[in-house]
Amino acid sequence: MAKQPKQSMSRALQRRENINGYLFMLPSLIFFVGFVIIPMFMCIFMSLTDANMRDQALPHFIGIKNFVDLWKDEDFLGALKNTFLIVVVSVPTVCAFSLWVASAIYKLKSPVLSAFRCIFYLPVVTGSVAVTVVWKWMYDNYNGILNTALKGAGLIEKNINFLGTPGIAIWCIIIILFTTSVGQPIVLYVSALGNVDQSLVEAAEVDGANHMQVFWKIKWPQIMPTTLYILVITTINSFQCFALIQLLTSGGSDTDTVMFRIYWTAFKLTEQQGHFGYANAMGVVLAIFIAILSAVQFRLAREK
Amino acid sequence: MKVEYLAYADGDDKVNTAITAGNQPDLIMEGPERLVANWGAAGYMVDLADMLDDTDKKEINDVSAGVLSACTTADGKVYEYPLVMTAHCMAINLNAFKEAGADQYLDLENHTWTTENFIKAVEALYAKYGQTVGAVYCAGQGGDQGTRALVNNLYGGTYTNADHTAYTWDDANNVKALETLLGMDGIDFDASLAGGDEIAKFYQGALKMAFCWNIAQQLDPNGAGTGAEKTVTGDDIVFMSFPSETGASQLQGGIWGFGIFDKGDAAKVEAAKKFIKYMCDSEHTVDAVKTANYFAVRTTAEGTDLSGIWADNAIMAEYTKLMPYLGDYYQVTKGWAAQRTEWWTMLQEIGQGADISSTIATRMGNANAAAK
Repeated sequence: MAKQPKQSMSRALQRRENINGYLFMLPSLIFFVGFVIIPMFMCIFMSLTDANMRDQALPHFIGIKNFVDLWKDEDFLGALKNTFLIVVVSVPTVCAFSLWVASAIYKLKSPVLSAFRCIFYLPVVTGSVAVTVVWKWMYDNYNGILNTALKGAGLIEKNINFLGTPGIAIWCIIIILFTTSVGQPIVLYVSALGNVDQSLVEAAEVDGANHMQVFWKIKWPQIMPTTLYILVITTINSFQCFALIQLLTSGGSDTDTVMFRIYWTAFKLTEQQGHFGYANAMGVVLAIFIAILSAVQFRLAREK
Repeated sequence: MKVEYLAYADGDDKVNTAITAGNQPDLIMEGPERLVANWGAAGYMVDLADMLDDTDKKEINDVSAGVLSACTTADGKVYEYPLVMTAHCMAINLNAFKEAGADQYLDLENHTWTTENFIKAVEALYAKYGQTVGAVYCAGQGGDQGTRALVNNLYGGTYTNADHTAYTWDDANNVKALETLLGMDGIDFDASLAGGDEIAKFYQGALKMAFCWNIAQQLDPNGAGTGAEKTVTGDDIVFMSFPSETGASQLQGGIWGFGIFDKGDAAKVEAAKKFIKYMCDSEHTVDAVKTANYFAVRTTAEGTDLSGIWADNAIMAEYTKLMPYLGDYYQVTKGWAAQRTEWWTMLQEIGQGADISSTIATRMGNANAAAK
């Protein structure tokens, strides 16, 4: 009997704390629901319709027709192929390069380390339009610095049309994406490596472990959460490559990506029947691929 | 009143987004390809036919019969009240032509040249400079009127049929033109340049001719403010019509005017019509036309003579020599927005070595599918 009031008070306290917690979450929750959850369901719903700018009436439900059409659409399949190429190339290289750089610099003295952090982080904080315009000048077909340098060094006779040649343009874009993507992973890895338990490192060294063994047996498992975060973020960013394509090639020279195709279908091909529905279907397909790849990465990291 | 300036390149995206969200503007200044063929055809615009009486029609038709037909749908609805027009042309670097001895192929008095002379001029320029002197730019749809006019005029090909219901890129004369351009040293199908980029390269002197040009560029090349009719290094720029077998080419027209979005508010529609009347058909039209730096689409506006308003500007007066070459305004053909992507993609593919006939067939097929 004596315990009852105590339990009831505890429940009331718990409820109040819960309410406070939810109130703190509320502002973020409103934005999350309004700008993520609701658009996500709208996107799924629209992908099953023939929604179109030209028809002012309500869209018609057409089942999975858009998804069936997507697999016959050569332009979409080409964009999907390019998107996967960007992901497959840029995710491992960004991770490996940033880990290598971070390993080399994390023990440096504070001012030098800060300078390196700034240098590598600069492309991240610089506006993507500014970065792209500078790269566009460098890649220029007529008087770009790359062509001038290669010609000056006697490596080429005729200028290379970097952004106008299929097979080259996509790699030029991957290089830019690489430079803008490595900043954050380097900073994160520097921090993660600095937080590795030194007593374990010293114990391993006392036991005769060499540098490689210390890295793979002691440090690597401890920075695995950071690696997983970097893998997922880089994968999502690579899947969503849009600004570079929009500003450099408009999807030409075999550089179309799914994100760019979504924009183009939704807002340029407005005379195409059901273009909004079709663009939403592309968005759903892209989200599914991102989800699958992220799940695989989580699973692999957990197994490790 | 809130005024928003939109770039031509992505202005339609913004308007399309606004239409989708139901907050499109009340009034818009644009061209027939968007006002008539796109938004008008989709039922978003107000019919302005009641604003044009017989006098208005005569005043406009006396300048060019093509203007009103471009602003009018097949069933007689007028979705654009025209204000100004121009003829899109090309330009050459006269100093470079003189240095290469290619100026002999130009009719500088009439600003025309023949296909044969164009080919000879490019040969002379290439012999002198040993690099690309003219670019068939195809990085995107920006400035595509230039590449269309170049290909169509070279041997008299057509872009659409006469009643603007289908695209006719597989015209044998277009195929011949593409083959000729592809085989010319000095002409490059450049997938890294769009119209604006080509103008910049011409202005910088890297290219010796530009296929994306009009009077606005002639007055202020590359929008750089460094002086009319001059490149950045001070070379003379001469505007030219596109080369054709006879020298009398069919130039692409640009027509700009006002349209009203139908938002169900009769009072706003009336107010918008008053504004259009003030801008396009009143004694103030002179100021509107001069501000736009283009040419009036009508002879008089409520008694004010518009025919001689550029007599005080030698460049504008000289440019009027091109106006008689204004060709068919086929930009109102259905599927216009979609076909633009097909056109530059087709040029890219041909430039990269794809078979010309089959590439044209595929891309024209896609364009015609969008036109249905």
